[in-house]
Amino acid sequence: MSAEPNPRTLEVRLEVSGIRKQFPGVVALDNVSLRLRAGEIHALLGENGAGKSTLIKILTGVYQPDEGEIRLDGTPVRFASPRAALAAGISVVHQERNLIPQFTVAENILLERIPTRGVQLVDHAAINRLARPWMNMVGVEAAPATPVAELSVAQMQLVEIAKALSLQARILLMDEPTAAITPHEVGYLFRILGDLRRRNVAIVFVSHKLEEAFELCDRVTVLRDGRNAAADVEMAAINRDRLVTYMIGRAEVIAELPPKPPAAEPVLEVAGLTTKGGDGALSLVLRKGEVLGLYGLVGAGRSNLAKTLVGEIKATGGEVRVRGALTHIASFREALEKYRFGYVSEDRKEEGLILLHSVRANTSITIWRRLRLLGQWIARSIEDAAILPSLRQLDVRSHSLSQSVGTLSGGNQQKVSIAKWLAAKADILIIDEPTVGIDIKTKNALHELIWDLAANGRSILLISSDMPEVIRLSDRILVMRNHAIVGELPNNHQYDEMSEAIMARLS
Amino acid sequence: MHRLRGLAPGVALGLLLIDLVGMIVLSLVRPQFLSSYNLFVTGRDLSILLLVALAQMVVLSLGQMNLSIGSIGGLVAIIESGLMVRFGVPVPVALVAGILLGIVCGVINGLLVYWTKINSFVLTLGTSYVFAGINLGITHATPFYHIPNEVSSFGQARFGPIPLMAVVTVVLTLLLAGFLYQVVLGRQLLAVGGNAVAARLSGLPIRRATLTAHAISGFLAAVAGTMLMAQLGQGQPTIGATWVLPSFAGPIIGGAALSGGSAPVVGTVLAMVLISLIDDGLVLVSADPFWVEFLIGALILGAVVLGRTRLSDIRVFLRISAARPVGSIR
Repeated sequence: MSAEPNPRTLEVRLEVSGIRKQFPGVVALDNVSLRLRAGEIHALLGENGAGKSTLIKILTGVYQPDEGEIRLDGTPVRFASPRAALAAGISVVHQERNLIPQFTVAENILLERIPTRGVQLVDHAAINRLARPWMNMVGVEAAPATPVAELSVAQMQLVEIAKALSLQARILLMDEPTAAITPHEVGYLFRILGDLRRRNVAIVFVSHKLEEAFELCDRVTVLRDGRNAAADVEMAAINRDRLVTYMIGRAEVIAELPPKPPAAEPVLEVAGLTTKGGDGALSLVLRKGEVLGLYGLVGAGRSNLAKTLVGEIKATGGEVRVRGALTHIASFREALEKYRFGYVSEDRKEEGLILLHSVRANTSITIWRRLRLLGQWIARSIEDAAILPSLRQLDVRSHSLSQSVGTLSGGNQQKVSIAKWLAAKADILIIDEPTVGIDIKTKNALHELIWDLAANGRSILLISSDMPEVIRLSDRILVMRNHAIVGELPNNHQYDEMSEAIMARLS
Repeated sequence: MHRLRGLAPGVALGLLLIDLVGMIVLSLVRPQFLSSYNLFVTGRDLSILLLVALAQMVVLSLGQMNLSIGSIGGLVAIIESGLMVRFGVPVPVALVAGILLGIVCGVINGLLVYWTKINSFVLTLGTSYVFAGINLGITHATPFYHIPNEVSSFGQARFGPIPLMAVVTVVLTLLLAGFLYQVVLGRQLLAVGGNAVAARLSGLPIRRATLTAHAISGFLAAVAGTMLMAQLGQGQPTIGATWVLPSFAGPIIGGAALSGGSAPVVGTVLAMVLISLIDDGLVLVSADPFWVEFLIGALILGAVVLGRTRLSDIRVFLRISAARPVGSIR
């Protein structure tokens, strides 16, 4: 890429056709094609497991296709390794950051070709000087010598883009770039990507979020079950419903949730809660049989509040009453055993599940103490009998109870992390971001499940940054911003009206 | 899954096969391998080293390490022999005191790790020197000779080829396996090793699990030290000095994940059998004994490389090699 912006040429830069990739027991991709033009942003959409990641890995030389052809500027190519793809000008910015946190921004950008002087001495001045233009191009305002660890997630992402550009990337693959950044930062990222489009870079934008694809992209390719459900369709010629139909194979039916009994007496009353995490005087009331939505962006302090309620973070002030009685929950064990709290963490892999262990062990973990026989012994038959109703109720799909949880799909993993609280008969459930990274079908199933739990008398604090989710499920919505609750709204389940009301509280 | 993970089927089956082949080859090449005395001597070493390996395995299953197993064994042995020889303390009292001391040493390790949150490798490296230092301070490197006869005869007792010590080891191994797989505290320990945050957020007692793992480790090290003292017939200050490497070799070859959450009891047993076979085989064929360690080292490397490629990577490898012919046709 030259310093002078080229006009958008829209010539076909990358042409992928007839790609097949088989793994033992699964055909991950079957006859998949993708056409990418210089100066366009191309949405690559699909449910989890549709094959998006496999396709990205083939384009970046991580996997080799079993069949099919990749043409770069009309010439057939094969990328034997990620290095080869990089050398051909294809860069990928992954969901997970690929930066070295302790190194500076400039060092990260120039990592592969650190300038040296004399006998291989690192030339720090040169590094900072050479990195600067790339940083300017994507608008990273930090000094080149800033350690990456001090940047925000969004800034790190920009550094990765800068790095890709400095590697002469002509094709930029963005893998779910908006998953962890705020709407404001998303806006900024989109402006940068728009800039790059004008500079004739070809961009693939992988996302779950259809609204973003509509806002940003010129054309779209949709994968479903490893095949093209749509290939190279103009974005302007398609609407949301059509796109969803491509993704899930049928029109999206969001079933009306059945009526549930009105909320009863308060079970959890929080007044003026303050924490070390910086929460200022939070108050809320959660009633029996109610879904209380807590909407806020990542970083608003929602998870901090949740962890304080379950005793994982110390409260520094305020009152918490559970079923009318003043409590000081000091540890999670107490929250579970004395007050029947359950907590479904937003990070199910790191905080919710033991991936190496079985479905059985992950579900019964909360009730081992209750199941023990004489001499602390746990009998397999009693254990299975205790957890099977919960697993069945949630329709968890696994080969056997002995299958390790790490091998289940994201949706089934999430069901297991809820099932353990059902098994424990928890009746105040704090559920943090239940459907992050979960596909549309399973998401609906989880919504119905959460609704059901409330209809059956459990109390649910639903924390989410997914506005449609909060508006669909909540009886009331709390809006959280900067570690404070800035509004409480009764919910009429009308999306347009409610989302406007919520946004009004946030700005 | 617990049961399967305990058996670590792939690894254990492979080890079992290698063990059997090794035994058959060895008994064909050197018939004296099957002699009652040779089996007794080999079995006795195995009985002790297996406890050492299990002492490490139980801490590894928590995702931690214990470098002080040898020092605990040594300290226990000289305290027991000192009490019996110097102070004429009755045998049962001395032995119980020694075993309790081992448990206390383990609990100290556990408490330090839990309180300070410092890496267990670093902490037990420290306590290992402390325990060994107390040993040397007491003994000035001189053994306590002439321990009571009933103790040293236990070290020589056997039913035909089977050493009496083996009974102790077998019972403890079975108890440990049952504890880890089917007893609440054992499963909590494995869960904490598998994912400490998830375990805490499921209401499990982290401190109790940590202390229990280290206490069991200290206990097993103490029993191993006591048995070696009985075998040698004296309280040698050097008891346990060479245990660090085999303590890791057993569980690692047996399929333990250093990150915790797995406790391959059967794999560890089979791995220690293999190590004993190599040891004994090299003696029987009059090989240079200095090459024993080399072979065990090669074995660990092989096991680790195989372990890396165990499940998913083998699949990835198959994928790639399956893809190649198709690619080359085109």
